[in-house]
Amino acid sequence: MSTEKPSGISRRGLFKVSAGLLAGATGIAALPKQLLAAPIEGKLATLIDLSLCDGCSGRPMPACVSSCKQAKNPTIPQPVDPIPSPFPTNIIEDWSKKQQVADRLTPYNRIFVQKANVTVNGEQKSISIPRRCMHCDNPACAVICPFSANTKDKNGAVVIDQNLCFGGAKCKTVCPWQIPQRQSGVGIYLKVAKEFMGNGVMYKCDLCIDRLKEGKVPACIEACPKKAMLIGPRDQIYAEAEKRAQAMNGHIFGKKENGGTATLYVSPVSFKELEQQLTPASADPKKGQPLLKPDVKRKMAESDGMAKAVLAAPAIGLVAGLVGGFAKLSQRKAEQAGKENR
Amino acid sequence: MSAEKLVKRHELIVMIEHWGIAISGIVLLMSGIFQLPSAARYKITAIPGFWWSGEFFFTLKLHYLASVVFVGLVLFHLVYHLLLQERAMIPQSGDVSESIKVLKTFITNEPEPPFGKYLPEQRLAYVAIAIPVLMLVVSGLIKTWKNLYAPDMDRILLLWATWIHNVGFILFFMAFLGHIAALLIKPNRPMLRGMLTGKVSREYAEHRHPLWLKELEDRK
Repeated sequence: MSTEKPSGISRRGLFKVSAGLLAGATGIAALPKQLLAAPIEGKLATLIDLSLCDGCSGRPMPACVSSCKQAKNPTIPQPVDPIPSPFPTNIIEDWSKKQQVADRLTPYNRIFVQKANVTVNGEQKSISIPRRCMHCDNPACAVICPFSANTKDKNGAVVIDQNLCFGGAKCKTVCPWQIPQRQSGVGIYLKVAKEFMGNGVMYKCDLCIDRLKEGKVPACIEACPKKAMLIGPRDQIYAEAEKRAQAMNGHIFGKKENGGTATLYVSPVSFKELEQQLTPASADPKKGQPLLKPDVKRKMAESDGMAKAVLAAPAIGLVAGLVGGFAKLSQRKAEQAGKENR
Repeated sequence: MSAEKLVKRHELIVMIEHWGIAISGIVLLMSGIFQLPSAARYKITAIPGFWWSGEFFFTLKLHYLASVVFVGLVLFHLVYHLLLQERAMIPQSGDVSESIKVLKTFITNEPEPPFGKYLPEQRLAYVAIAIPVLMLVVSGLIKTWKNLYAPDMDRILLLWATWIHNVGFILFFMAFLGHIAALLIKPNRPMLRGMLTGKVSREYAEHRHPLWLKELEDRK
């Protein structure tokens, strides 16, 4: 583990973790309140500790949600008025006048806190689950974006460039959690064929990549009063998640889901149970309320074998061309020799 | 009735190259178009038999499958004909002005000049198709590599590959339409038989490609 303070989890923080784990023996209460992750180069990951998050019960809006709104909403341009009606669906998604909505994902609400009512040790508990983009390791939303408007940064953040996105929502369709949300009436599609191609810009958490580049942590992580969210070098965050899960005899989500992600949730309750107890019970990904889908597979993996065959195709063609070409040349030579012998 | 005399125009291997690239190219065009989020929006998914057009992972698999054939045959084509030093499709000087003269004859019904194996505009069309094909192959391979091994590929390289692929698609689509449109011109139609069966009638060859026949005779 790196001992360089600027690029890793701080030593003091780690000491606190270790001490907490040793001394605490039993669980959640003994876990450290803060594990500082200072920014931040190389591959990153985030940790969301559901044993610490209480959804900011005393506040009108969870701090992660309000801080995200504050940091990001001013960056969304004002939609044109009137917003062009897309042919032939005529479906316009305009959240610009509902920016305060906080109980679901919207372009103006890129993180929200989901609730699940579960029983832990015979006690009824409400678990708060901050939900946002998982920043998958091999995100279909980014790699098959037709305009490469959605890309994965070297640091692991999956980022939509609002200047290139046409708002076709393919990223939402291929995301197992349907995270990206569309704002119509903004973006490059207005300058191309606004009624016929595209319908706005897709928005989702970008891990505050602009802040990361400035050496700051994402707004939600900075704002969390319970320090339930951490960011740091990927291997250290992964190790920390394992430690915490072990200490609470709990579970990790995000490590294998969709082929692995840069977001690890740690919970004392299994994610299958959380999934069943989500509130509202009718959580609807189409309405910005993603399911958890523990163990969801990376769908694109089904075509990886074929993709490897594509990469092998030039070599196969080249070898076949050489074999065929030389065979034809020797055939021609033999024919020529036959003619001369006649 | 006497049997029609035929002249061999294409080897089997050339026909396999042509039709392999043609069929995989059409599949690539379709599956590529369906990688745009257009099928559901424009209700193509509702057309009987086209349910798959809105399934991005399925059309991606189809795109890969067709790419294996397409890319493999393109490389085969380059290496095979380079080795055999077959240059009949490579444009020659004066092809542009010759092509214009030939195109005029289609309108004026004046007699065409005598041709070799290929018309000058066919040689130009070959280059017009080859350029987008090479753009698509190179950028497609980069994109496939990214999908498999480098989702965090350098953004500049990725944007170049993406836009070369997208522009290559438009050029290839136009070239494909032009290629099909050439069959609307009546004197060209016997060449379709040549590409389907490998042979054309001697009468057609004598009438339109006397320089090619002479070349064949000289080789004997």
